Amino acid sequence: MPSRLTKIGCILLVGLASSLALADAVVVVSAQSPVSTLTRSELADIYLGRTNRFHGGQPAMPVDQRENSPAYVAFYRNYLGQTPAQIKMHWSRLIFTGRGQPPRSLADHQAMADFVAGQATAIGYLDDAYVDERLRVVAID
Amino acid sequence: MPRGAGRTSDWSAEVDSRLGLQLSANLTPRLSSVVQVVTEQQYDGQFRPAIEWANINFDVTPDLSLRVGRVILPVFMNSEYRKVGYATPWIRPPLEVYRTIPVSSADGVDVSYRSRIASVTNTLRATYGQSDATFPYIDATMDRATAEARAREGLTISNTVEQGSISLFAAYSHYRLSIEDFNPLFDAFRLFGPEGDAIADRYNVDGKTFEAISLGARYDPGNWFVMGEWTQTGSRTFLADNRGWYISGGYRLGAFTPYLTYASQRILSKTSTPGLSQPGSEPLDAMLNSMLQGQPQQESVSIGVRWDFSSNMAVKAQFDHMNHEGGSRGYLVNSQPGYEPGGSVNLFSLALDFVF
Repeated sequence: MPSRLTKIGCILLVGLASSLALADAVVVVSAQSPVSTLTRSELADIYLGRTNRFHGGQPAMPVDQRENSPAYVAFYRNYLGQTPAQIKMHWSRLIFTGRGQPPRSLADHQAMADFVAGQATAIGYLDDAYVDERLRVVAID
Repeated sequence: MPRGAGRTSDWSAEVDSRLGLQLSANLTPRLSSVVQVVTEQQYDGQFRPAIEWANINFDVTPDLSLRVGRVILPVFMNSEYRKVGYATPWIRPPLEVYRTIPVSSADGVDVSYRSRIASVTNTLRATYGQSDATFPYIDATMDRATAEARAREGLTISNTVEQGSISLFAAYSHYRLSIEDFNPLFDAFRLFGPEGDAIADRYNVDGKTFEAISLGARYDPGNWFVMGEWTQTGSRTFLADNRGWYISGGYRLGAFTPYLTYASQRILSKTSTPGLSQPGSEPLDAMLNSMLQGQPQQESVSIGVRWDFSSNMAVKAQFDHMNHEGGSRGYLVNSQPGYEPGGSVNLFSLALDFVF
């Protein structure tokens, strides 16, 4: 029981720290995933299609919320420092050269929570109010 | 009656208009196919569809891919998507670099290998193939003409290093170039004996080696960007050895991205020759000299703005001021009687780019 409490405490603490700095979106993986921290550049490389693995070698499957939704805009602004138009420009370079496809897109926070919970390789982002015991918030350095 | 934009203050909606259509098929998780057809105005003023990409891609591993078919040669940093206006800040890539090589795609094979060391992503590509291209030129009587360039045994090796906001690019290209349309001229030189042979061997384009080196760098932390490229080409033909470079930067203010570009391209080889200087050789000498002089040499300053007014559409406005040096016509292909080469030209362009 104490360990469970500690875990929740950690999640809350991380969630609080993230929301203070970044407002709106936290990065999550499945509770089954071994990943607990990522650097900002690792996160950017995963979301920009430059790598398909986490630094530990596990496969990474990034998932997006709907393009131009508040969570989408906040995620790319806060973690990658880019606007939706810049992201679109980035993917148009890869799509039109057959060198990659953008992350799969999900309808809302709940769909994101359910999808990431069910996929050990998935990584996503959502409002911290949707974080439940099936998910782990990833600390971004 | 000559028509078209370029010489006057008339507007034209045709010059930079293009429509691209792309079909991608994922045949299996590791096997995919891409066909991209681009319709744009050709050198002769006609709109014709041309196949930019048509290849089959096989992912040997997630980091090693093999393509067979028509591929874009990765000669410059933005080569692969230079026809996708939405993918670049500008209306068109700087011609001082992007027009120094007459061949842009090849029918052949392409290998791409991506590796990661710590936070650095490295992508090495090698492309081998051949291609044919028709290009316009101004002949000795100041008429517009076209010629067919054939590139064989073409090899391009490029490497891109990316870390965070920094991207570095280097490429080397090598192929055998033939332009048979000019062979009759050099055959005429050969009639003058060993001296004529020497001139023909120096200037003809008949299976001659053409080489190009290019370097590029981009820094894009988000709110602003700066990028530049440098290239040098060389061959023992009448085609000039060129050195071109540009630097371009922009600042993102919400949906607006104002940008500024300076570009310069110079000819390194001689633009004239004494020729044979024999009785009766004057017309040939004059023709060869006009070919050497008729090649582009220009510098330009461009100022523009890109406005991303909707999620998949952008409007761009760009003003170019071009200086042509040494009697060059620059990259103008629609010059008219009475136009004096050299001097400067202003160009204003508007573009709407969309992807869907």
